Amino acid sequence: MLKSTYTAPPPLPPGWTEHRAPSGHLYYYNAETKQSTYTRPQAPAPLPPRPAQTPLHYTPDTLPPFSTTPYGPPGDSFRSAHQGYGRGDFRGGKSYQERRHREPADRPKSKHPIPGCAPWVLVKTKLGRRFVHNPSTNESFWKFPSEVLKGVVEYDRVEREKKERQERGEVEEEGEEKAADEPAGRVPLEKPKPTHPSEVPAIGDGEDSDEYEEVEVTDDDDAEEEDGQATKRLRTDEDDADQPPQHVDFTEEDIEYQLANMGEEYGLDPGEYGEPGEEGWEEGAEGLPLTEEDAAALFRDLLDDFHISPYTTWEKIVEEGHIIEDSRYTVLPNMKARREAFSNWSRDRVKQHKERKEREETKDPRIRYIGFLQEHATPKLYWPEFKRKYRREPEMKDTKLSDKDREKFYRDHISRLKLPESTRKSDLSALLKSIPLQSLNRSSDLAALPPAILTDLRYISLAPKTRDPLIEAYISTLPAAPEQDDMTAEEQEAVVQKRAERERRERALVDREKRVEEEKRRRKGDLLRGKHLLKEGEAEIEEAMRVRNDGLRSYMEIDAQIKD
Amino acid sequence: MPPIRTSRSRKTPPAGFEDIEDTLLEFSNKMKDAENASHEGKKKHEVLWPIFQISHQRSRYIYELYYEKEAISKQLYDWLLKNNYADANLIAKWKKQGYEKLCCLRCIQTKETNFNSTCICRVPKAQLKEDQVIQCVSCGCRGCASSD
Repeated sequence: MLKSTYTAPPPLPPGWTEHRAPSGHLYYYNAETKQSTYTRPQAPAPLPPRPAQTPLHYTPDTLPPFSTTPYGPPGDSFRSAHQGYGRGDFRGGKSYQERRHREPADRPKSKHPIPGCAPWVLVKTKLGRRFVHNPSTNESFWKFPSEVLKGVVEYDRVEREKKERQERGEVEEEGEEKAADEPAGRVPLEKPKPTHPSEVPAIGDGEDSDEYEEVEVTDDDDAEEEDGQATKRLRTDEDDADQPPQHVDFTEEDIEYQLANMGEEYGLDPGEYGEPGEEGWEEGAEGLPLTEEDAAALFRDLLDDFHISPYTTWEKIVEEGHIIEDSRYTVLPNMKARREAFSNWSRDRVKQHKERKEREETKDPRIRYIGFLQEHATPKLYWPEFKRKYRREPEMKDTKLSDKDREKFYRDHISRLKLPESTRKSDLSALLKSIPLQSLNRSSDLAALPPAILTDLRYISLAPKTRDPLIEAYISTLPAAPEQDDMTAEEQEAVVQKRAERERRERALVDREKRVEEEKRRRKGDLLRGKHLLKEGEAEIEEAMRVRNDGLRSYMEIDAQIKD
Repeated sequence: MPPIRTSRSRKTPPAGFEDIEDTLLEFSNKMKDAENASHEGKKKHEVLWPIFQISHQRSRYIYELYYEKEAISKQLYDWLLKNNYADANLIAKWKKQGYEKLCCLRCIQTKETNFNSTCICRVPKAQLKEDQVIQCVSCGCRGCASSD
């Protein structure tokens, strides 16, 4: 316990000074380069590195060939951007030993020459991590030196292109992941040297190619890599905000594994301390197959499905809150967008509604009233008498037809009834002739005459007995209806297409929900793990700070025991 | 004696009224509730805020139906204005540049204020102090400048 803290430290390289942090930890600061690190810096000599603080983490079987550590963590970004990387430093020996047997042996797996950097080779390990090795000088780095980095980026690009060509057929667009466009210069400065094996930046397979991300290598990475996917997290660096969004593919097993091993996995992941708003943003920005139009269309579907009247106000809909529970409500990012979508939707719906009504409108009041007149109107009654007699009938009370119109219709009808029958007959035939072929043709039915006929007084001025045979005879002389079927077929096609579109959108939504769910679970796991780590760290500090009666001697004894 | 206007003798509203009737009825119910709400614990100037708010909402609703969504006919719009469903003067202001979001007519009435200025809610957010939360005295508006 705490034995490592008291091993005799090797001398610091020139320029480095040793300090004690408020938390009780030792750290090292280089005044010239303004670097600070918890890891004891090594003299650049090729002697085997012995980091004073965390020697146990560098077990030979978990690390590739030695690396000098010239890229210590920059002091500022340590807390803000890379909480994760220093996880090993907080850990005591005890917990480590519990964990130790779990760590898989990692060893180099394949070697690839780097284009443009002759002696350097890129070595991939069994666990999918990568480092560069220079066989001529016998140097190895996890962290790519700047001169090699360009070569590696180039290599990745070539690899990815190869892979893409392979996958072109079935995979959905991965085109968003274009790490090659990224400025390569800034990366090496920010990237800290990871001190824990599980935080070593590594690249899954060629698929992902973005070495500016931290890739978490968990023990069952092999399984993941079979899928060609490594779990990755975007660093929450501000600079990374403009990075292209990434798919996070996290299988169920991974989540379960992570949750199960929370106790052993220590680490603060980037984003753990991040405010939730930021996380929300990140989730939304991930590579979603939902485009903006899709989102808007989904929202419109939602409004349609809930049979919301286009004449209501947005406030009322929100107040009622039926649609809020629906998952499609969340496809639009904010209230403003939703409001906008609603007003567009209602505008369109109102237009449709109007068109439909215009088609039906003329039908209702006048047809009914004229039919009523046909039955009840007689020349014996004046309009006031007629009105009084039938004032209880619904046709007479209908608000859509004004009283004036009703009176006019009545008077006209009565005056027409007084005309000789031959005039009325010729009037009817004139009316029939004036109807276009589209609405009146051989296939038309007496029961379903077009509204243009039904609303005309000439139609009712003859008694049905004499009128109907006349109309029938006229209809039989008419040719068939002009071609109209192609229109309906087109409409049907449109309907089918619409339905297909909608299905596609809904599938996309389901996909997104799944992904968000996974992300949430992962975050929860990370949070739990982080809390655990913090607790552990606190306990350790407490332990370290407790100076017993015998002062430091107890520590020395333990130390001595260990040395034996 | 003036003619007595009842619901039976009233003229039928223009076509399209039945579409918006429900919403308007809701507004009038809300208005009744606001009128009958207790003034207990409210400051004197706060009492009328909900009234202003609802009338603003209703006017805005009709304004948007006619000018933005084009959902109602000219006849119906005129009828609604004539029957005081919407505040025609307020709508007239909304058509002017700089007054697109105006909350109420009292807030631009400079003669009623001590310094001959408009209400605080007319001041753009950018010109206010940081984190200054305002709510105007006349109608409880929290800011109705067009640039907000």
